[in-house]
Amino acid sequence: MTGDLTPQEPRPARSRGGKIVPAVIAIGVATVVVGLLWNLASGSLFFYNADEAVGRRAELGDERFTLQGSPIGCSITEGFRGDDPVVAFSVSFGGEAVDIVHFGDPADLFQADVPVVLDGQWVRGDPGVGGRNPIADDGWYFASDRMRVKHDNDYINDDEYDQRLAESEAATKFAAEACSA
Amino acid sequence: MTTPASSEVPVHTGSTTTRLLGIAVLVGLVALILLGFFGAPKDDEQADAVRLIFVHVPSAFLTYAAFSVTAVGSVMWLWKRSVWWDLVAHGSAEIGVVFCSLTLFTGSVWGRPTWNTYWDWGDVRLVTTLILLLLMVGYLAVRSMGGDDSAVATRSAIVALIAAVNLPIVNRSVEWWFDRTLHQKSSLTDGNLEDLTLFTLLLGVVVWSLFYVWVMIHRFRVGWLERELRFGDLDLALAQRRAEAHTINDGGDR
Repeated sequence: MTGDLTPQEPRPARSRGGKIVPAVIAIGVATVVVGLLWNLASGSLFFYNADEAVGRRAELGDERFTLQGSPIGCSITEGFRGDDPVVAFSVSFGGEAVDIVHFGDPADLFQADVPVVLDGQWVRGDPGVGGRNPIADDGWYFASDRMRVKHDNDYINDDEYDQRLAESEAATKFAAEACSA
Repeated sequence: MTTPASSEVPVHTGSTTTRLLGIAVLVGLVALILLGFFGAPKDDEQADAVRLIFVHVPSAFLTYAAFSVTAVGSVMWLWKRSVWWDLVAHGSAEIGVVFCSLTLFTGSVWGRPTWNTYWDWGDVRLVTTLILLLLMVGYLAVRSMGGDDSAVATRSAIVALIAAVNLPIVNRSVEWWFDRTLHQKSSLTDGNLEDLTLFTLLLGVVVWSLFYVWVMIHRFRVGWLERELRFGDLDLALAQRRAEAHTINDGGDR
């Protein structure tokens, strides 16, 4: 600000580019938001719990879907099929068990009683993985190629393993019964 | 439309309050780093990865807070045409975008060792948070499109209120779509934090909140000064032209 009273040249109007860029950003944002909402509506992560997956087995056929359940400790077997790592285990949820064969490395936090979310499909027959201990053992297995861990929100440390077992949920009780059978 | 009076315009954005706030933030950050890395215990399952909670959760909390302030400021602009609230809405949106980006980044880094993935496009919590970030980036884009200040404030306020609808959706998504998200429910409200872990997390929220207030005060003052500069120029030019016209008229009367 100055005291100069000399008439000034009018300030240059804002360039077209100065308006177009934010407008393009705004339109781009709106487009991406609609795309993301569309993706969500398709329910690409939507998973069936183990009991639902068993109940809908005929309906699901060989369709790929996502399954969730808690690994049963005594069923976990890691090995190889050819040169590829394979993990065979069973998961439980809602009183039902599903035998799993996961092709690939397990997740870092993969362990008994910590729920996993798996992408794959139902397959009937023997997966040809030695040393398996299938809990369901109903002639079907879920062939998985993607594993994520759905850990809980409990950050209270338990020093005693027995205490952890006592406080764990229905899945652990089911697993304990299945393993002792 | 209410505008700030020139006599109230600060000559710089610092003050005793902001300096004290800045010192408190620095001290808090040091305490947070020490407690976060060395004080709080490892988790049974996640081991050291759990320490990300001390940045991730406070960032998410401040994301909600900052965008809520933007929503309130937008309502107040639309209702009262208050420039003060419009500046608050704008400043809070900018800071909220930073916190929201930090939330997504730390969540992604945390997700790799725990979920076994950096990102899942089908996860409702992750995607609704990304949508929230994009909407607020859109808000800032609308703000920078130029034009009449009042029209810009009104347009951006409407965008902010559309984005605000997403806030409760993001927050409640882990409850409403439990079968479509890897994200766990809130540990804080479920009471699943203990002792030093809980204390450090709450300290993180306090430090981030103080940081938000500190940046907010500075950003608000910068916005106020920018506005004063623009309107001050205009007021001065008008006064000069009136003076010129007065001089010419006086000359013509003679």
